[in-house]
Amino acid sequence: MSHSDTIPDAATLSRAATALAELHANPTLLNLAQATRRLSELTCLGRVPVRVGVVASFTFEPLVPALRLQGLRHGLALDVYCGPFGQIEQELLNPDSGLAAARPDVVLVAARLQDVCPPLHDAFNGLSAEEASAITDAWLARLRAAVEAFRARSQAHLLIQGFEQPGWRALGLADAAASPSQAATIEQANAALRAMAATLPNTRVMDYDALVSFHGRGRWADPKTLFFARIPIAPAHYWPLAGFYIRHIYPLYGLARKVIAVDADNTLWGGVVGDVGLHGITLGHDYPGNAFVAFQRRLLDLHRRGVVLCILSKNQPGTVEEVLAQHPEMVLRPEHFAALRVNWRPKPENLRDLAATLNLGLDSFVFIDDSPVECELMRAALPQVLTVLLPQEPALSPGMIESLDCFEQYTISEEDRARGQLYRAEAGRRELQTAAVDMPSFYRQLEMKVRIFVDHRPHLGRGAQMTQRTNQFNMHTLRCSEDDMRSFMEDPRHRVFTLALADRFGDNGVVGLAVVRLDPREWRLRLFLMSCRVLGRTVEQAFVAWIAGQALAAGAARLTAEFVPTTKNQPFAGFYPDRGLTPAGTEGGVQLYSWDLSQADLTIPDWLDLTVMSSPEAQDPDGQS
Amino acid sequence: MDNLDKFRSVLSAILGIPPDRVTDDLSAEMVDTWDSLNHINIIGALEQEFGISLPADHLGNCMSVARLKGLLTQHGVAI
Repeated sequence: MSHSDTIPDAATLSRAATALAELHANPTLLNLAQATRRLSELTCLGRVPVRVGVVASFTFEPLVPALRLQGLRHGLALDVYCGPFGQIEQELLNPDSGLAAARPDVVLVAARLQDVCPPLHDAFNGLSAEEASAITDAWLARLRAAVEAFRARSQAHLLIQGFEQPGWRALGLADAAASPSQAATIEQANAALRAMAATLPNTRVMDYDALVSFHGRGRWADPKTLFFARIPIAPAHYWPLAGFYIRHIYPLYGLARKVIAVDADNTLWGGVVGDVGLHGITLGHDYPGNAFVAFQRRLLDLHRRGVVLCILSKNQPGTVEEVLAQHPEMVLRPEHFAALRVNWRPKPENLRDLAATLNLGLDSFVFIDDSPVECELMRAALPQVLTVLLPQEPALSPGMIESLDCFEQYTISEEDRARGQLYRAEAGRRELQTAAVDMPSFYRQLEMKVRIFVDHRPHLGRGAQMTQRTNQFNMHTLRCSEDDMRSFMEDPRHRVFTLALADRFGDNGVVGLAVVRLDPREWRLRLFLMSCRVLGRTVEQAFVAWIAGQALAAGAARLTAEFVPTTKNQPFAGFYPDRGLTPAGTEGGVQLYSWDLSQADLTIPDWLDLTVMSSPEAQDPDGQS
Repeated sequence: MDNLDKFRSVLSAILGIPPDRVTDDLSAEMVDTWDSLNHINIIGALEQEFGISLPADHLGNCMSVARLKGLLTQHGVAI
């Protein structure tokens, strides 16, 4: 994570972000070539270095510039290795292959059905049902053997591309009722691929067919470059294809964005509410009002998958609030927004203020506005924010929201679905804090209930997600998959603690995670993180004190905690020393802090009602532990 | 941008050469980066920029500025 020693200045970042935004808006081959020539100026956007290894059934090299540029759009500084085309199995199997030597963090397996099972595309009408399934079964068995051999030597994330359907089916209309059916055979192969990936650690299938279908099967390949140069994907599609691969990579590195800060006038509705009044704005059942309604529905859908919504509007305070609460055609209501900034201050200033209020980094934000001037201002002032200029045509705005590719995550947790309520509750807490006379009485009035779970399997997904999304109060910023989390839980030398917090304003869900290694004389606190939403309520202090208490009870003399500094967790570099832990040297890039448990103050504040939930083993009827 | 400027930007961006090097006497053997793959990119970019479709057999020939301009003229692009 210690990627760039010098932090690039805002002007450099802003120029680079603008160049990539323009390319993404109009990714012609000319613009792509021009951006590729400027690659060295754009690399300042790469915050997280990742080594990608590609094994493909076709020549992948022409895609590499687009892949690197798409990576930079999402904060990834990619180092790309391409294996020789058509050697997927050899590259995966051979411990001395170029792929093995490249020591990739992520491996893309790009096998086209046309290349690895050609008769299914080129000669389908000559196949019996048995032959058709035997061809795909044989390829999948070979791929499985190769992937397993590779997996035994590498922890890299494996991303396997699924198979595409042909544009025209070999039997035409009759395919639907035929045996074998070409469409059904290919769908079964995709299902088998997904089933195979599900049994292998850190292995995922990318839905390539959905990408091809979105762009049009008939035009995905350019027959001229296909037959003349064996280039199977039209060069015009390099940009979306590279974007598709990157969409599967950046969520693994905590680079998904989290918040949309949206303008109001001529964005959420047509017209300027300050001029035309509550009932004069354009919003309703007919054009263009229906396009604004559809735009709001797309935002609501993002909100329900965990994206936080805010409004930045230059208006008289109160006008926007009135529309949200009272306009009959509004889809988005006050409860969907975590915060509003309706005033006449510059929008970058308001956005900076929002980031501080929500405890999130600027690079978690997307800013959406219909005004080119506001967009330009935001890009210049806060280039870390992804700025999206809405099309002038309202009918195109809903599609613009659907195409935002910066919110990807592999699993959706209950916490994601409820995030809106969580932030609403947060607003209530802030009010209470203003009203309370001192901090202890504020804490008491919160009526906080802490539950701690030990190796609790149902928290695998949420635990992994927190390691991927938490950047600030994250002592070790080690991104873990569900499989990594499962390994920790199953390993008798490790213990995983997850912490859930509820208070009088609602249930925050699972907001804390600790992974401890149980050494004979000391416990080693390896991963320790808390969601920023709940910081500053003494829960993080109580969590570490409770863990230390468990260590003491288990006979350990010390608790040693690991801290790996990043640019994001600097504000919490003093957390362990403040608790009373003393510096105990470094190990590689890891700073160690140690606590002599005979001296440590392990008091849990009396305003926290803390319960330890029984471990699943204890509930397990087989009683394996 | 007129057609000639557009044509020059395509070759300049794809081959990584200054636009003023794109003169009528320039051909593939004079530019290291003008290989078969980049030639396909040039043809693809010209098709996009001028909204035309060029025959596949030109993906392998016309590897000079003069011949590319001739090809464009044949397909209705005044250059």
